[in-house]
Amino acid sequence: MSSEPIERRVSYLGDRLRGRRCQICGKEYFEMKDYCGDCGRKSFGKMVDMDLFYEKGKLELCTFINEPTNKFTKLGSYIYGILSFHDGNIRIPGRLTDHIIKGNEEVDLSAFEGRNIVPRFRRRYSVGRRDVIPTISLTFTFADEYYLHQEYSTVKPNKEYDTPGIVGYGVYTSKFRIQERNIERSVPFIDEDAVTAAVEAGKLALIHSGVDSSLVGKIYVGSESNPYAVKPIASKVAQVLKLGEEDEDVQGVDAVDTGFACKAATSMFKDAASLVNYPKSNIQYAMVIGADNSQAAPRDSPGGELDLFVGYGGCAYIFGKHDVIAEIEGWYSCTSDTPDFWRRDGEPFPMHGGRFTGDPAYFKHVRKAAKKLMKRLNLQVVDVDYFVPHQPNVSFPVRIAKELGFKEEQYLPSLQIANFGNTYSGSSPMGLAAVLDIAKPDERILIVSYGSGAGSDAYSLIATNQMLDKRKHQKMTVKYQAENPFLEYVDYTTYRRLKLGM
Amino acid sequence: MLSRPAIIAVGRTKFGEHYEKEPEKLIEEAWLKSSEEARIERKDLEACYLSDYFLPITNKLGLEEGFLSELTELHVPMEVTRSFGSALLNGCNAIQAGRYSVVLVGGLEKMTDRWDKIRDDLMLLEDPWSYYAGCTPEANHELMLRAYIKKYGITGKDLEKLNLALAHISVKNHLHATKNEYAQYQRKITVEHVLKARKNARKPLGLYDFAPISDGATALILTNEEVARKFTDEPVYILGSSSATDYLTFSARESMTSFLVTEIAIKNALKMAGISLLDIQVAELYDQSTVMEMISLEDLGFCKRGKAWMSIYESCQDYKGYYRINGRKLSVNMNGGLKADGNPLGATGGAQIFEIFKQLRCEAGERQVENDEKVKYGCVLELEGFGTKGYVYILGRDLE
Repeated sequence: MSSEPIERRVSYLGDRLRGRRCQICGKEYFEMKDYCGDCGRKSFGKMVDMDLFYEKGKLELCTFINEPTNKFTKLGSYIYGILSFHDGNIRIPGRLTDHIIKGNEEVDLSAFEGRNIVPRFRRRYSVGRRDVIPTISLTFTFADEYYLHQEYSTVKPNKEYDTPGIVGYGVYTSKFRIQERNIERSVPFIDEDAVTAAVEAGKLALIHSGVDSSLVGKIYVGSESNPYAVKPIASKVAQVLKLGEEDEDVQGVDAVDTGFACKAATSMFKDAASLVNYPKSNIQYAMVIGADNSQAAPRDSPGGELDLFVGYGGCAYIFGKHDVIAEIEGWYSCTSDTPDFWRRDGEPFPMHGGRFTGDPAYFKHVRKAAKKLMKRLNLQVVDVDYFVPHQPNVSFPVRIAKELGFKEEQYLPSLQIANFGNTYSGSSPMGLAAVLDIAKPDERILIVSYGSGAGSDAYSLIATNQMLDKRKHQKMTVKYQAENPFLEYVDYTTYRRLKLGM
Repeated sequence: MLSRPAIIAVGRTKFGEHYEKEPEKLIEEAWLKSSEEARIERKDLEACYLSDYFLPITNKLGLEEGFLSELTELHVPMEVTRSFGSALLNGCNAIQAGRYSVVLVGGLEKMTDRWDKIRDDLMLLEDPWSYYAGCTPEANHELMLRAYIKKYGITGKDLEKLNLALAHISVKNHLHATKNEYAQYQRKITVEHVLKARKNARKPLGLYDFAPISDGATALILTNEEVARKFTDEPVYILGSSSATDYLTFSARESMTSFLVTEIAIKNALKMAGISLLDIQVAELYDQSTVMEMISLEDLGFCKRGKAWMSIYESCQDYKGYYRINGRKLSVNMNGGLKADGNPLGATGGAQIFEIFKQLRCEAGERQVENDEKVKYGCVLELEGFGTKGYVYILGRDLE
């Protein structure tokens, strides 16, 4: 049960799939009941919170919807059904997402029923352009398909480091792809956006790190495709992932959105690392997310050349000083006022400076940041095991890597542009994740981001041996998402429709 | 013993699309028909119980009591509830308590004025979580059917028969409606129509498995036993009346293959009437879908759990105007049911009562149930939402 106006304002009940369990008889409710119907008055104060956000459920029954109510017409056809959790103790309604049903496809409902499902965090339904966008986790996908069910169990840290670093990360892209000109690009499902990608990435980072979400004291979300001009993505992430200590319906966490084109997230790596290193901050962990439903005008419009490269996805990194998997050795950032790519307020799509986005923009800043940091740390090209550049297209990162003297084995592992497209704020963080997925202890990683406008952040990271232990907690690796057998390829028209959202 | 409320007259409009008629014209028409029949004047009414689900939404009419007062030029107590069953229960309670001796019970709805949004409005009758998850007014019926098939392990030839039985329900209701001048769809359909609609929808249930949206109004005059005899020699008594309530959220209910409210309401109504289920020869069931008619036969106890489709299938091989259940005849939805008579929510229950009233008085014309013995008892089941509320009425006459 819920009420529409309240749920629109306070959507975390449905976002998190929260409920209560009676400690006396074990009866479970998909609502915040203060007492148990069976146990009555004696159960007051004995109802404990539970949520189904990280749980695996089962699709009990389903039906095919091809004439949805008005708020769902943009979805076209979909599967709706009843899900059960905790061996059938609790039943809730749900919509199968990430599933396209073609116009004349025969739907065999029995092929869906009885299968295990994972709740997914998505947009709830269509609303007007001026309205708050409601979200919900009453959407689901099958646990044996693209998105795996992974348990979230917090791990007590056993080692403290002198220097802060990355303690966990998560990468999320959708299961849809468009394949053009030898590159594949990830395409959001129609109910996905930068907000949902940020939440998914953050969720996977918590799972990977084993960090107790209540110990995350700050969350930064960098994006240039927030569906709101005013309203942070970070607050939604904080609420859904329960970052910081929960006190009634408020999370004890500082949450902020950051912006600087594609380096909105990488810029904050040093802030997050510094924050957890400051003894009086009282913040043990800080999370940085870069997430974008990368925007591009349609191909025949001004700025439409970007439409060949844009992808969709999010990356989340948790910084701290305990059980670090990659220590931060140093950083260098540079900035200049360079209008190579911009989007005016109120405009739906960004504009692009054509050939001026190369030499005076991307190359100038990436080159400067990389060289300055290597000089500062006294590093030679051979000292770096992996080079991770920002990846706006296929040629730029290769050209800069070669120019800086890196060999293929140093830069190729990080190049994900041909798998996912340019994920904007998530671009270089995605490359970093691909490297962290495979790096060995003590290897050095040099990441250089780029944000139009313009600037670059360079970081040098050194992997620790704790990364090997944590790898077991992350099945949704970059490679897994790039080479997944459940990927679904869509044509250009579908791609534009899905990207535009509901 | 409680006094028995008596229905002395019933009236209704045709159901369907009343494009040009305002809501007050509809309820006025229903009232006039019933009052003329009973030769009763407005001034005789001591209270009014009106029902509608959606007037505030569809016609932007709030405080419908005032609207009814303006229409009738009466200043008596008036109350509005959501379903005819509920309005009637209020009327019965007042009569039985001795508070009033003559009341009007009416229902009206005008849904087609808002055809483009009415399916979203109908979701108000279900829980918000289901709506948020993409549920439609039809989806729970389909889920219930799937749950039923799974629970009773119906496969192969039996499943084919079950699907045909459901199609026959629709065909049968359309057939009955051809004899009902007030019905929305007075035309025959065939099993092929039903099956083709399902095929087009690529679903187990199609257009012909569901009741339409409708405009219409119904009314009846309810009195106590004493007053009834002043107006008519043939009052129809409400011998049993009962209602029950269940969770709004379908998925949170214990059973997904039955409606608990029906089970409770029929038990209490029978007890109140002091008769056995087997005494009932005619029933108006709430067939919002063909599945609902089938399930209701089980919920009321006419058929065993998991078996109703068999009786329906067998009866419809050579349909004679009734279902043959365990050797007994039961005529169901003689007015065409919600499927063909129409389903203007707030007025629907009134059309069900109208039908049983006419059947018991042998005034149903071509629709009149011809049984081995005279029809003595009839029952009405009205549901609100997807089985969130259930009302059962047992009607009868000439008990002396």
